[in-house]
Amino acid sequence: MATSPVVETKALTKRYGEFTALDSLSISVDAGQVLGFIGPNGAGKTTTIRILVGLLRPTEGSATIAGADCVAQSRKIKRLVGYMPDVFGSYDNMRVTEYLDFFGAAYGIGRRHRVKRIAEVLDTTGATYMKDLYVESLSHGMKQRVGIARTLLHDPQVMILDEPANGLDPQARIDMRELLLQLADMGKTLIVTSHILPELSRICDTVAIITHGKLRAFGTQAEIMRQITQRRTFEILLVEQEQIELAKSLVGHSLASDGEANISVSETEMIVRFDTNMPDRELAGLLAHLHDKRISVAQFREIPTDLEDAFLSVTSRGDAPSSAVSSAATAAAQESA
Amino acid sequence: MINPVIQRELFSILRTRKALAMLVAMSVAFSLIVLLRWPTDGRVDLSGMRSQQVFRVFSYTLLAGVLFVVPAFPAVSFIQEKNKGTLALLLNSPLSSASIFNGKLIGSLLFALLLLLTSLPAAAACYAMGGIDLYSQLGLLYVVLLTCIVQYTTLALLISTFVQSTDAAVRMTYAAVFAFGILGTGPYYLLQGETGLLSLIAWWLRAASPLTVVMDLVGHGDVGSLALMTEGSTLAEYLLLSIVSSLAFVAFTISRLNHRLFDRAKSKGKVTDDRQVMARGFRRLFFLVDPQRRKSGIPFYANPIMVKEFRTRKFGRIHWLLRLVAVCAVMSLLLTFAATTGVVDWGVKTIGGFMVLLQIILVVLITPSLASGLISAERESGGWELLRMTPMSPMKIVRGKLLSVIWTVGLILLATVPGYVVMIYIQPAMWLQVYMVMICLVLAAIYTVCVAAAVGSFFQRTATATTTCYIVLIVLFLGPLLIWMGRDAPFSHDTVEAALSINPTGAALSIIEAPGFEIYELVPGAWWVSGILALAALICLGCQVWRISRPV
Repeated sequence: MATSPVVETKALTKRYGEFTALDSLSISVDAGQVLGFIGPNGAGKTTTIRILVGLLRPTEGSATIAGADCVAQSRKIKRLVGYMPDVFGSYDNMRVTEYLDFFGAAYGIGRRHRVKRIAEVLDTTGATYMKDLYVESLSHGMKQRVGIARTLLHDPQVMILDEPANGLDPQARIDMRELLLQLADMGKTLIVTSHILPELSRICDTVAIITHGKLRAFGTQAEIMRQITQRRTFEILLVEQEQIELAKSLVGHSLASDGEANISVSETEMIVRFDTNMPDRELAGLLAHLHDKRISVAQFREIPTDLEDAFLSVTSRGDAPSSAVSSAATAAAQESA
Repeated sequence: MINPVIQRELFSILRTRKALAMLVAMSVAFSLIVLLRWPTDGRVDLSGMRSQQVFRVFSYTLLAGVLFVVPAFPAVSFIQEKNKGTLALLLNSPLSSASIFNGKLIGSLLFALLLLLTSLPAAAACYAMGGIDLYSQLGLLYVVLLTCIVQYTTLALLISTFVQSTDAAVRMTYAAVFAFGILGTGPYYLLQGETGLLSLIAWWLRAASPLTVVMDLVGHGDVGSLALMTEGSTLAEYLLLSIVSSLAFVAFTISRLNHRLFDRAKSKGKVTDDRQVMARGFRRLFFLVDPQRRKSGIPFYANPIMVKEFRTRKFGRIHWLLRLVAVCAVMSLLLTFAATTGVVDWGVKTIGGFMVLLQIILVVLITPSLASGLISAERESGGWELLRMTPMSPMKIVRGKLLSVIWTVGLILLATVPGYVVMIYIQPAMWLQVYMVMICLVLAAIYTVCVAAAVGSFFQRTATATTTCYIVLIVLFLGPLLIWMGRDAPFSHDTVEAALSINPTGAALSIIEAPGFEIYELVPGAWWVSGILALAALICLGCQVWRISRPV
């Protein structure tokens, strides 16, 4: 069953004079999904987020959250969205409970319900033990937990977290990942920006890669890998070292039509490595051919690419958007139509 | 090799917009002073009266510039570096503590000298008018100002090593400058004609103030002396005190420039509810309202912003407010008690005048530290973005913030009511005057809060906002009093009356018939002007908050 998108942007554009910070961004995120929003510094991630939460006005295009327009219905958006900016925003001489109590009151949560809610969010974020500590005395990781607790206070449908894992130590990063997965399990729609891509790849359902204000790739991780990394890398692990040259020449023969093919061998490891855009059927033919020539193949495997490779592949490319964008954007446009 | 800190310090000051604004403002102010007072007729003033008038205004403006502009940069010098992490880098470099300090001192002094240089054309014009001695007046004025610059720069640098935030540095520096530079002269006038240790201390306190020396230099040494002759010039004593104190400040600051500056544990703050019964009881007795107790939630009828402001402000917690209110009440009663027992033979009106002045000083000193950072502190800490994300309207935010200041200032004013009650008890006929004075004081508080909040909202950094607020409010409140000091010459009755009307202080003093103010008719004109200015400031604040809260 197709779910309706909770967060949707259509041709979202933001210009500051001559400078285009965001250029026709169209994405959609379904309910309960986790979107990883990736891009180098200054790519336009925070601009997009600030438009989504109603802090910025787009020059062109539109953005909606749960059907509410981010510009026209900004008051409604504030109830729907929990936003954690990359700057914590702490106050001096305030204990964690007082800090959360203040934001609870600011969101209009009644006192009795607020006390209960503060206990709940502290429990969810594993921050109960911090409740009597002064906010300014907390470590960065502890502050991030309190920040998420604050974001959760009014039980928002969508949570937008700007660099939640930034500056955290490895253990705190693992804890943060667990926490985000827990939030996803609670049915929250999450938009998370991060530079720490291996962390992001473990929690995201969909990924949007943005550079210079333009969307370069958008879709599930698998889709993105497929679309972006069209040249896949394979390794053939041989059993006998003397067959390496023969195997290399057979592979070279099979890839003769691919002008960009790159074949290398590692004699010590007994591996022939090559990259290609050959379809799976032809690769099966190659394997059969090696077998026919009595080459003992221990392994024939594709080297998996990860989000980091995809990101680097996209960011090193020029301004042309990948086909992943066009297909995903078209799908988003069709769905909304 | 030139100390690298000097170059960096000076350039970083000169590159700020604040420095440019200060240089331009000082140049314009000095040019205007000379232009406005330059003789327009063809006759020569042989008595030198006219040039003396110009010289007085010029000297006071220059002194005000030195007192309120010069400490702004050194006040934040060390704390800014400490908070940005660059002080640790400097201390880890081969530079000695003395080199770092010298670099900062010389950098700040060079900028101050630049400010003084902007006054030279005006000084030359004053001299060209004749009637002013180059050495005994103009030369000495610059010597005093240079000493004052060194003294307050070293003091500001010292304070900068003690505080934890730039905002606190600015507040404490201005409080110290105000206390040493202006308030120090007060006790002398109270104890003038008396003998004994107290009177001696008062004389030395007066001698420590550059204001006294400048007043002597411009021939105002006897102003406020109530027909008693002042005891000669305090120039030598001032120079001695200034040099000795500067050296002490330098030595103390250098001794503090080491790793101990960073050796401060973050206070986790133990909650009283978790302490033993005895400790809880003791704290209850000591604090009355224990700041470390676990708070109940913000009630539905209270503005959350107001409660937040009280909780986050160091002196906003109720136990501090209670202390402040108690001190004000005791001070007010003591002053009235002094009048009743005849220890000081001044009468109720003079004491009333002092009470009004003290209250205004209290309001002008405390309010900017509370109101100037209302918006800028939020913007600086990143809290403004979080507040914008809440469903609270900008007006609710402003209301909560203003209420938090108004409550505090209101409590301080209320604390002085017992003094006035005693005053009415002594002289029942004064009830109407006291009633009108109270209106003036309330108006002064509202006026100060609105102006400070409005001015502060235009800045993104609390330190800049606080500095600017202090300068604006001191100009608004002290400026008319300086003009009043020249009420016989160079300023006419109408000019002084118009100047006194721009804030309610003059009105309060004229109502209470304080000496020198009884001849001015300032009510209701001053009330109207103050009310309109406060309203304008409020509208300005509203517009600015609306501007920074809307999506752009």
